[in-house]
Amino acid sequence: MILYLGRRLLGVLGVLLAIAAVTFTIFYVLPSDPAAAACGKACSDERLEAIRAHMGLDAPLWRQFADFVTGIFTGRTMGTGQYALRCDFPCLGYSYENSENVWDLLVDRLPVSASLAVGAAVLWLALGLTAGVTAALRKDTLTDRVLMVGAVAAASLPVYFTAVLLIYGLIRLTGLLPYPQYVSLTSDPLGWASNLILPWVALAVLYAAMYARQSRSSMIESMAEPYIRTARAKGLPRRTVVVKHGLRAGMTPVLTLFGMDLGGLLAGAVITESLFGLPGVGRLFYGALTSGDQPVILGVTLLAATFIVVANLAVDLLYAVVDPRVRY
Amino acid sequence: MNKRTRTLAIALVSTLGLGLGLAGCSGGSPAKGGPERKNPAAANTGAVLGGTPQKGGTLTVLSNQDFTHLDPARNWVMPDMDFGTRLLYRTLVTYKAAPGAGGSELVPDLAEDLGTPSNGAKTWTFRLKEGLKYEDGTPVTSQDVKHNVERSFSPDLPGGPDYAARYLAGADGYQGPAQGKHLASVKTPDARTIVFELRKPFAEFPFAATLPTFAPVPAAQDKGPQYDNRPFSSGPYKIESYARDKRMVLVRNPHWNPATDTVRKAYPDRIVVTMGLKGNQIDDRLISSAGTDASSVAWAALRPESTPKVLTKPEVRARLLAESSSCTEMVQMHTGRAPFDDPKVRKAVQYALDREAVITANGGPALNDPATAAMPGSLFEGGKQPDTLGIPLSGDVEKAKQLLKEAGKPDGFATSITVSTNDKGIAEAVQQSLGRVGIKVTIETVDPSAFYDTIGDTRNRTDLVYTGWCPDYPSGSTFLPFVFDGRYIKEKGNSGNHSLFRDDATMKRMDEIAAMSDGAAANKAWQELDGQILAKAPVAPASVERKPLLIGTNIAGAFGHTSYGGQIDYATVGLKDPSKGAN
Repeated sequence: MILYLGRRLLGVLGVLLAIAAVTFTIFYVLPSDPAAAACGKACSDERLEAIRAHMGLDAPLWRQFADFVTGIFTGRTMGTGQYALRCDFPCLGYSYENSENVWDLLVDRLPVSASLAVGAAVLWLALGLTAGVTAALRKDTLTDRVLMVGAVAAASLPVYFTAVLLIYGLIRLTGLLPYPQYVSLTSDPLGWASNLILPWVALAVLYAAMYARQSRSSMIESMAEPYIRTARAKGLPRRTVVVKHGLRAGMTPVLTLFGMDLGGLLAGAVITESLFGLPGVGRLFYGALTSGDQPVILGVTLLAATFIVVANLAVDLLYAVVDPRVRY
Repeated sequence: MNKRTRTLAIALVSTLGLGLGLAGCSGGSPAKGGPERKNPAAANTGAVLGGTPQKGGTLTVLSNQDFTHLDPARNWVMPDMDFGTRLLYRTLVTYKAAPGAGGSELVPDLAEDLGTPSNGAKTWTFRLKEGLKYEDGTPVTSQDVKHNVERSFSPDLPGGPDYAARYLAGADGYQGPAQGKHLASVKTPDARTIVFELRKPFAEFPFAATLPTFAPVPAAQDKGPQYDNRPFSSGPYKIESYARDKRMVLVRNPHWNPATDTVRKAYPDRIVVTMGLKGNQIDDRLISSAGTDASSVAWAALRPESTPKVLTKPEVRARLLAESSSCTEMVQMHTGRAPFDDPKVRKAVQYALDREAVITANGGPALNDPATAAMPGSLFEGGKQPDTLGIPLSGDVEKAKQLLKEAGKPDGFATSITVSTNDKGIAEAVQQSLGRVGIKVTIETVDPSAFYDTIGDTRNRTDLVYTGWCPDYPSGSTFLPFVFDGRYIKEKGNSGNHSLFRDDATMKRMDEIAAMSDGAAANKAWQELDGQILAKAPVAPASVERKPLLIGTNIAGAFGHTSYGGQIDYATVGLKDPSKGAN
């Protein structure tokens, strides 16, 4: 187990390094020049060169990349003389746009994205699994059909449509809810939930539909396994058969899906956060993309990659818990 | 100031719909080129809305974005300059707080007067008023103004106005005070006197002295790039908190002395800027103006799709400011490349362009006016552009065809135009209008973030580009040289002169005007030069956009300031009833 974990962690590092290298190279070959963007209009060549040197953009690609990677672990000093900025471990650099430490920006925005992702995940798991398992147990009945048609319909609704519909219906038309404004969980739990309910629903509708379909097919498959028949023949109560034997085995593919989805969402739901004006990692990323703020884009990309690979690893480890047949 | 500094996003579908809708509303007497455009939002132009504010309360600013830079050495975006210099830091000279043309009048701010020129306007001396203090009660000194001027040279602090770099003597190669080096051409003989020695005469130095570069930053408070997050106040408010891209709270600076300040009224007790809101939310909240939204003003321009909801309701329309942005948008032609190296072809484009269609595509007459000259109206007598071109607004197809025939292109030709994605509707209007004379235009849209890099690459760019320029202050010297001086052209990273216009007579005349010490004569000369340049047709002026801003029902003292691109003057805005402004 420990050997397996060590091997996987090394793999995680390799993946992250590769992603950083690719992102770095993309920026390097792009025609846009962050120094020119920072310099502003009617910028003299001399000043542009000075700014480029200050930003470290005059160094060759390999050098910039090596500085970035070593900087993550050892920290870096940027700028000159009185204006030098010390960026400590884990140093992801400073935003070109507002000179903020990228790591601090991520730490500041993460609670918003995490609140959105975890709340929506609870909602979609509850809705999706209930619908999926119910449909599987009542396979080919009217309930099954209604649930699955509903799931197909919900899955076809893009989040920007659902979000706009919710904003229009529940905020603008009826005034039932306020325009979402993020308040932290610790300062006002009720405000936190009431402001996030719409974004949760917007996200959960889409995911719940996908989970309902996935869990239905997994459940149908696992409920047809011989050990279910055995369990039934042993006279186990239906609840035990379904939950302990059927659901547990049927959850493996759902868990895989969940790991990827939650990992991706933790690093920001770009559209949902932008539509609801939530200052999370997704909106940070969107803003950085539109302004070409490379350090922030790189930081968010690495964060997202970390969440996804770590979530994958966690899911693989959880297989062993969920499915007794799996051993490492 | 180029379009990089503006963030007015235009949605194509709704703007087209809106434009068509408004065409039906326009009335008035017929004029050359079709019916006169009656701007339904222009009623408030030049007026102060809401009467005189009462002191106190909380003013809320609803914004879709964060400030670009509030560090005075880096602040060069019109709305941010307005916010910074009207609320947080004072400059040597500033603009009068007055609507309409009165807003271009200079008044002393930190300085006792508008500066004393000597040595043929190559030396400028300013003396600071007595009793100027920072938020901690320490006195503002001339050394602090010098320190900020020096900071503006630092590569660690890019983005700010470059007037100091362009005019100060001995500034070549200077890279700011961080390494302990200082500029000898800025002298501070005592704590209240500052002397600028320039490399060439500059009669308009007092205008440049309104820019945030000429605000004080005490060396002890200078935190380099981090100063952007917490500029030290010499104005009526100081920053209580600033969470970037989220929220800023300003509270009164108790050490600001109103007796030293003839401009800022500082009516509200607190100013809260809520950032990162969606544009449609801001529009909706201000249209309904409920609760604390009544005490709010918009930071972002009203979205074109929200315009019908405003213009159709007299009560809401009365709360819409729509001052001119003073930025002229133009179809700029590559004068160094065939067929646009032929002035006749370029003139044909001027005649073929349907400015009515461009305006319709960009939100209709409430959001922009047709351009009839290159420089915006604020640079002409009476604040209005003359009709230099004398071409009907919808174009003159016959004349354009005639010109193409004379140029040996009777069947037209194929070319392409680059526009920012936001301006795709405009590009289609240009495409259709030039198509009428056989010029087949292919549209290339570029993401706003890459737009200036793309059109700045002079070798690989398209023949036509659609972009504009906004003057930094009301003088032709901040417009014509930036847009038409061939010596500013760069092969990569070119900005301003996108027609790549290099005309010896024009450049010679620009130098002559720049050397004039009589400001009025210089202004008149710039205005004449504007017409002479347009006669050579490097560009086809298309529109001058307006800045439509909604205010809540409890807002008073609000007007769009002509010297800040039509942004609300934060020096005078406040609340009718402060008890309603709690937030």
